[in-house]
Amino acid sequence: MMSERISFYDQIRNNKIKSVLLISLIIIVFFILGYFVSYAFTPDYFFIIMILSIIISIFYVVIGYYKSDKIALASVNAKPALRSEYSQYYHIVEGLTIASGIPMPKLYVMNNEQINAFATGRDPKNSVICVTTGALKNLNKQELEGVLAHELSHIANYDIRFMTLTAVLVGMIAIIAELFLRSFWFRGSSDRDNKGNMILILIGIVFAILAPIVVRLIQLAISRKREYVADASGVKFTRYPKGLADALRKIEKDHPTENKKINKAVAPLFISDPFKRKIQGLFSTHPPLTERIRILERM
Amino acid sequence: MVLWTIFIIAAVLVIIFIYYYNRFAILGNRIDNSLAQIDVQLKKRADLVPNLISAVKGYMKHEKSIMTNVTEARKALLSAKDMPSKIKAGDNLQTALKSIFALAENYPNLKANENFLQLQQELSAIEDKVAYSRQFYNDNILDFNNSIKIFPGKLFASLFNVKGRPYLEIKESERAVPKVKFE
Repeated sequence: MMSERISFYDQIRNNKIKSVLLISLIIIVFFILGYFVSYAFTPDYFFIIMILSIIISIFYVVIGYYKSDKIALASVNAKPALRSEYSQYYHIVEGLTIASGIPMPKLYVMNNEQINAFATGRDPKNSVICVTTGALKNLNKQELEGVLAHELSHIANYDIRFMTLTAVLVGMIAIIAELFLRSFWFRGSSDRDNKGNMILILIGIVFAILAPIVVRLIQLAISRKREYVADASGVKFTRYPKGLADALRKIEKDHPTENKKINKAVAPLFISDPFKRKIQGLFSTHPPLTERIRILERM
Repeated sequence: MVLWTIFIIAAVLVIIFIYYYNRFAILGNRIDNSLAQIDVQLKKRADLVPNLISAVKGYMKHEKSIMTNVTEARKALLSAKDMPSKIKAGDNLQTALKSIFALAENYPNLKANENFLQLQQELSAIEDKVAYSRQFYNDNILDFNNSIKIFPGKLFASLFNVKGRPYLEIKESERAVPKVKFE
């Protein structure tokens, strides 16, 4: 096993390139799906439908983009953190904003025994960090600093925008595929004029079934990559990998509790999977904690 | 055709020139800005000292010399003109403050004082912030120096006569992590 030091600058660059590739793939899938849908129904109005769907999807993306932080905070029932009550939380984040040169995010607290945290918003000027009361209670200063630096780097790397847009795009593809497939229940076979058209429609159906699954896998792969990058750039701010590694170890030992309050859709936002799913693989929102700790120890 | 080629090449060259000129300017401004941030934090530290002295005075009647040290260090910081001497004075003030906090261990009543505890936490946070602002300054120096030492930036740097800037030295003792722990 090679165990040379990993430069966090390299780590950030590598992952940025991979993420750009992944999101381009999502957009391509989206356009292929749009092509099949419009071709299968009305080849004559192909362009009009394509243009309409592009306009609708832009509208949908814009709304999701501006409202995402409020939706996420409301769905976990987070409250704004008071400075008088959480002075250490404020001091640590203020220190980290100085180290990273990004504006101060709004700070929130959610009432939950688990050790966890997430960041959301659309850019560094409109960003939010939220931690659980469990994290504030169970982590010492260095560990909390590690976790908050991880969240702050999600903001600094524009992950919060990226993840929001990906989530919105993935949702949109799922909706279109669903509509496309359902519409076949209501259609007669009278308009199937030739065999070639039929084959194309069949391909379209298969694609519509597979597209949401593929796209969801891509989203999860991006989500996992982003966690590694945020770990790396968080360490760039604190210069103390042990803080985050210790915090992740505590999270690993943390007893999994029922998390009825947390909506599954916001799971990728958190520093570690709030559902503590044991099986690691293609459908995981987060990379395995042991792997993250191992990388942090090599920095 | 030839004329067009010359024109396009010239336009590209002008854009590249402007790009590098602005890049050096932006990176340089970032350094100046992060230097100002260090100044802000040092100033905040100095501003908290009178509050600390008045909180501690009643309890530490026999520790005159330490009080004087802190007051002197604060004065030196406020009268320092350039950045290196400010930073040095800031370090001295921090050392003087540390001796007050070490001494406070002998005064249970003081340690129970809400006001004192809050100041202690505030000053410890400022210590972190000073360290972070220096780190950010050095990060910006690194970006700047990289941009003028790596080709093709190197070429333009010598053309515009842009010179590398020195790093702030950070004392080894300050890099030592676990500091004070507050629960």
